[in-house]
Amino acid sequence: MAEQQFQHVLKNGMVLLGERMDDVESVAFGFLLPAGAALLPEGCCGAANVISDWIFRGAGGKNSRQLSDAMDGLGLHRTHSVGTTHTVVGAALEATHLRQALDLYADVILRANLEPDQFELARQLAVHRVQALDDDPRQKVMLQLRQQFYPPPLGRSTLGRVDELMSLSAKRARDIVGMSFDLSQTIFAVAGKFDFDAVCRQMEKLFDTDNEEALEPLAVGPRPARYTHITNESAQVHIGVMTGTVPPPEKDYYNARVAVSVLSGGMSARLFTEVREKRGLCYAIGARYHGLKDVAGIMCYAGTTPDKAQETLDVIMREFNRLGDGIGEEEMHRAKVGLKSSLILHSESTSTRAGGIGSDYYLLGRVRSLDEIKDRIEQATVDSVVSFLQHHKFGDFTVVTIGPKEIAVT
Amino acid sequence: MEFKKQTLDNGMDVIGELNPSAKSVAVGFFVKTGSRDETEQINGVSHFLEHMLFKGTDKYSATAVNEAFDKLGAEYNAGTSWENTIFHAAVLPEYAVDVTKIWIELMRPALRDDDFNMEKQVIKEEIAMYKDTPAFDVLDRCRKLHFGTHPCGNSILGTEQGIDGLTAEQMREYFTRRYGPNNLLFACAGNFDWQAICAALEKTCSTWQRQPAGREVQPCRGSKKKERIEKSNLTYEHLCLMSPAVPAQDERRFAAYLLATIVGDSVGSRYYWELIDKALAETASLQFGPMDGTGVFCTYIRCSTENVPKVLDTVTSIFADLAEGGVKEDELQKAKNKTLSTLVIENELSHGRLMRLGANWQYLQQYRTVEEDIDSINAVTTEDIHSLIAELDLGDFTQFAIGPEKPTK
Repeated sequence: MAEQQFQHVLKNGMVLLGERMDDVESVAFGFLLPAGAALLPEGCCGAANVISDWIFRGAGGKNSRQLSDAMDGLGLHRTHSVGTTHTVVGAALEATHLRQALDLYADVILRANLEPDQFELARQLAVHRVQALDDDPRQKVMLQLRQQFYPPPLGRSTLGRVDELMSLSAKRARDIVGMSFDLSQTIFAVAGKFDFDAVCRQMEKLFDTDNEEALEPLAVGPRPARYTHITNESAQVHIGVMTGTVPPPEKDYYNARVAVSVLSGGMSARLFTEVREKRGLCYAIGARYHGLKDVAGIMCYAGTTPDKAQETLDVIMREFNRLGDGIGEEEMHRAKVGLKSSLILHSESTSTRAGGIGSDYYLLGRVRSLDEIKDRIEQATVDSVVSFLQHHKFGDFTVVTIGPKEIAVT
Repeated sequence: MEFKKQTLDNGMDVIGELNPSAKSVAVGFFVKTGSRDETEQINGVSHFLEHMLFKGTDKYSATAVNEAFDKLGAEYNAGTSWENTIFHAAVLPEYAVDVTKIWIELMRPALRDDDFNMEKQVIKEEIAMYKDTPAFDVLDRCRKLHFGTHPCGNSILGTEQGIDGLTAEQMREYFTRRYGPNNLLFACAGNFDWQAICAALEKTCSTWQRQPAGREVQPCRGSKKKERIEKSNLTYEHLCLMSPAVPAQDERRFAAYLLATIVGDSVGSRYYWELIDKALAETASLQFGPMDGTGVFCTYIRCSTENVPKVLDTVTSIFADLAEGGVKEDELQKAKNKTLSTLVIENELSHGRLMRLGANWQYLQQYRTVEEDIDSINAVTTEDIHSLIAELDLGDFTQFAIGPEKPTK
């Protein structure tokens, strides 16, 4: 199948990306707004969560319920998420309703009502979500891990902080909307069944506003503590481990991805085999690549009962540290096949593709075709991956544990 | 889309939904067995057995099994519910037969003592993990309270003690009884060579012997009891409400599904406007859980302990409004739109198609096209929903709560 990728830039700098997919009846789109957790002003951690709720509470002359009804009337599956660099709002839907959906989203992004009483409710919910994290140690440990691994403000919690949410005012939040919803830095991505020319014409009418001043680049601070333990009378000790690797724009990116796949790609990969299959230490064990534009890491989670926690961490560290000693041809083959296959299997989802082309553009300044990704994975060899690992030895490990028992981190 | 079907002499059904333009194929074995088919002595065995199938056969070690799947780049897994155990994999079309052959092998596992004892540790870790997941824990406990002695109240994972006491011999006996070909279904969806798949299945599965599997199916009205337990490490209150619904075989399942969407979808539902929009609760959902011969409506709410009385009053009044005023025409239409677009989106992935295909065959012995489901959804009227509400009374529910310790006064 010939891939059908499109790109167009509006006069104000907003980038429109499209990937047309054959044999689908749905379409998915997302607006990557430069309003991620790391880009918020100091003292406003969590504001993006409040805002991404608040803007849907009425817009373009419709009140909250009218807007919601209009979206439900189109059968929209709404998505919104707050990441480190972007707040993403979007939807998946039957392709025939795309035009009406984009009209509604233009209202949400440009003409949200932003009423103070609705702000209060959105803020309370954002506070609840942070507090509810205490009852979900698996998620909490990974958020805490990112906070400690990435230098501030890149590690800022994407959910927010209760104290800063409590002191956030409607006026401050409104100012942040004005400042952060900068269309010159916004990426719009659409995938599935659509007519790109028609989308461009509509987007020009909806979004082509005057140029705005570019946001200042981020200044990052020193990395915080290396090991943190949070005491909790939970049944398991929840362990998060993270160490640095190359970010997506670097030439060794695919070597890093293949290395992570050797470590934790499928059930025959090293972590699953050594931690779960051979020793029965865990049910949940796995590692994955996590990359921002300039910094990246490999993050690993394991949950285990307290008496096995030390051994679990020791085995995980051993597997990380011996990865550069050598990789077998067979396991290299499995790691590469796994990555390629996953890429193709997930490419059937319009939401996955819309997310993929949007983040590609942000991270690399261009959209990769599936063939290019496949080729680059294919080019990785045992020699290239091992040589990469030897030249980029895993340095410091950031470790976070939540549970009844602290463990020794050497 | 083309439907394919073959039944082996020993009663095993093989079905497929062929889509030659799909970039992938999903295949799976659907075993009609789960925790409701267990006695107290062997509770947890269905789920434990699901793990043990990955431990290999007389020919293959566990490592060899994992390597074989990974070599094909398969996305594979298995899941056990109260009444089904499903083993599934998605691969590129050229590997459809290879991955089918792996599953065929695994359906006759070695169930070695050594593997059994090692995997027992993993199962106990999984039980511990879910203890730390109150959203799951409260559902499991509410189910037990709701169903009482009815087998649908059996826990899927079992208890740590129960798993400790379980023997490999008990598992082998259960396997023989429940994994006979007449209790298995093989299904595939996407782009595949039907003849080649059938040939692989016939060659091996035809030799398997029928077994008396069966299942006693009884409806359950639920206990309507209310209980609460405390856990010192919790911050929030986790509430589960359960009431009877129609079974998976019932034609009113579409109406029940739409009713659940109207009341408890994540956005735009009655729960959303009354509980989430007003920040009374952080999460609130109502789901319809159709089962073999029975069914439940299940509400899950997460909120602060101080908000519980207000939340329960609100839910009670939502149910009372439903009983009194029913649902509005435009509410139903919105629920239909959301449901139809979900159907279209899920159906674009081979895995989604496989699950629909398998479930329809398991419960109805029917192949249903997406268009037929769309028609059934569109045909539901407000009157259908009103008669369901009148019959089922959502306001008369079993309730379980897990929350933090309340300060002593």
